[in-house]
Amino acid sequence: MSILRCIALSLSLAVLSSAALAQGKTAPKDAKLYFITPYDGAKVRGGFLVRFGLRNMGVTHAGDDYQNAGHHHLLIDVNDPIDPKEPIPQDKSHLHFGAGQTETFLELPPGTHTLQLVLGDAKHYPFDPPVVSDKITVRVRQPSQRGK
Amino acid sequence: MGEIRNFRSGNHDEPPPHGSMPRRLAAIIVGDIASYSRLMQADEEGTHLRVKRIERDLIQPSIIEHHGALVKTTGDGFIAIFDSPVEAVRCSIVIQQNLVGRNASLPKETRIEYRIGVNLGDVIVEPDDVYGDGVNIATRIEGIADPGQVYISGAIYEQIKHKVVCGYESLGDRKVKNITDPVRVYRVLPDADAVGKTRGRRENTLIFLLGVTLLVIASGVLWYLLAQPHGKGTEQAAAPTAAPVASPSPQSQPRDAAQAPQPSPSLAASSPSPSPSAIPVREPEMIAIRGGSFAMGSNDDATERPIHQVAIKPFSIGKYPVTVREWNECAAAKVCGFVAAGKDDAPISNVSWADARQYAAYLAEMTKKPYRLPSEAEWEYAARGGTQTKYWWGDKLQPGMAGCKDCGDLAAEQPAKVGSFKPNPFGLHDMGGGIDQWVEDCWHKTYQGAPADGSAWSSGDCTSHVLRSGSWKNDSRYVRPSNRDGYDTNVRYPTHGFRVALSP
Repeated sequence: MSILRCIALSLSLAVLSSAALAQGKTAPKDAKLYFITPYDGAKVRGGFLVRFGLRNMGVTHAGDDYQNAGHHHLLIDVNDPIDPKEPIPQDKSHLHFGAGQTETFLELPPGTHTLQLVLGDAKHYPFDPPVVSDKITVRVRQPSQRGK
Repeated sequence: MGEIRNFRSGNHDEPPPHGSMPRRLAAIIVGDIASYSRLMQADEEGTHLRVKRIERDLIQPSIIEHHGALVKTTGDGFIAIFDSPVEAVRCSIVIQQNLVGRNASLPKETRIEYRIGVNLGDVIVEPDDVYGDGVNIATRIEGIADPGQVYISGAIYEQIKHKVVCGYESLGDRKVKNITDPVRVYRVLPDADAVGKTRGRRENTLIFLLGVTLLVIASGVLWYLLAQPHGKGTEQAAAPTAAPVASPSPQSQPRDAAQAPQPSPSLAASSPSPSPSAIPVREPEMIAIRGGSFAMGSNDDATERPIHQVAIKPFSIGKYPVTVREWNECAAAKVCGFVAAGKDDAPISNVSWADARQYAAYLAEMTKKPYRLPSEAEWEYAARGGTQTKYWWGDKLQPGMAGCKDCGDLAAEQPAKVGSFKPNPFGLHDMGGGIDQWVEDCWHKTYQGAPADGSAWSSGDCTSHVLRSGSWKNDSRYVRPSNRDGYDTNVRYPTHGFRVALSP
């Protein structure tokens, strides 16, 4: 029995360590990432505040390698699936909040846009399983002073 | 056209065009397309369209930007007048450099190249034309200019010699058609690159000849030694044959002996130090950029607006982004935060703005030279290489010019080593694509309120700083010289690197 237990332990250790090597730090199963504002389907005019909600995990500075903590990334109009083996891209549609920010003021051109949050680890990799929010849609209307 | 006229009558204190013989002193630019007839013969409509496009996209805007007025365009050329000789010459340089970019991708026989002559003279200005001796002389000077060159008269030279930082080559007094007195003519060498090119050709020939001579001598010595009985011969023969290889000069230069933070001995080994007390620091290879003025920004993205005119003082900027090898010397000296693992020739990556700043400070301290990060305006000026096109090489994407996701073939290992792609007209590599590059400025969402003197914009919310160039992971929109983005100051990311600048 003890031998079996030893084997099981070493197996599970091996699995864990290989998971750690393949980037993608593990995240608690009940971690939940969500938008506090805006809500899905919201209609906004001009700039609007986006606030990020995270449950059962902590927000920290990028580069800080604490267990169960990460930093926010806001994906705007991104349709490509998240690649767990690559750092979350950095460009105008993947905004990074590596200083530990939990909200941002967004100005988007008029039209329909999708927003999604992805939590990244110290090195900007998604967690395993990825901690992502639902993808929400916002409709940005023409700024009032110019409309009609 | 109407816009230009308005500009002229609106901003200059000249009498209304219908007054009695309005005379004024003006710097006159005359431009003319070389081999226009041949181009027209080969492709009449195509050439006409291209010439019109150049006039609309390049010549007219450049003249307006430099506070001049387009007097008229002829089939194959144009005449413009300026209040300021300095602006006139700058405008000419801008036009010529832009054309270099536009022509870069075309076969030689279809290139549209202008000759440009600039003269200062008292002229009669009428709404649609300008008359006088001064115009005729400008035309004659233009006539003797080589395609792609700007020639100026002595009168212009006297006005600008200490103001426009360029090279000037005196061509002596030239007798020109139907003008009694000979005219002193100078050729303008617009930028460091152009000066380099003219010198480069001569030097290359010299180096080649030197190499051949040394080889002949070496083989002679070798033959002589081999013909001798065997013994000490072969060892000696090695010395002369090695000689021609010595031409690429080492990057490091002798240092001031006064300050002595000792770097680790392993660093000292790599480069030969001419004086025994010198502290060897590997300085990035720098390219001198002559000052000038340019239109910064574009209308392609909200962050790049508004387009605004910026004056740039002369400075130097790294020919390549800072490499892993260069960075690791700073890391070995325990100044930079981490030892990078990449290949020596790869650009340093995964650095924050604060890291980049630290490296520049280290370099400045070790060399006692004012090394720093470039300002955003300096970066864009250098990246454009004198062009106003979408990319420095033109308006269309071309393989081999930049490293990005959809720019053409990418090597398997990224970031690719520095200098893997073609240099821009200023001789700079990887100004667009390859690795993102931090600059000194704090991030602002638009250019509203940006400085116009080429300095870094350091006021406002500095929790994020500006990134330029785009990386191998971005698409081609990010490779444009005007593209900009902001990122948290103290956060490292795998595609972020930098290059250094140096004040003169």
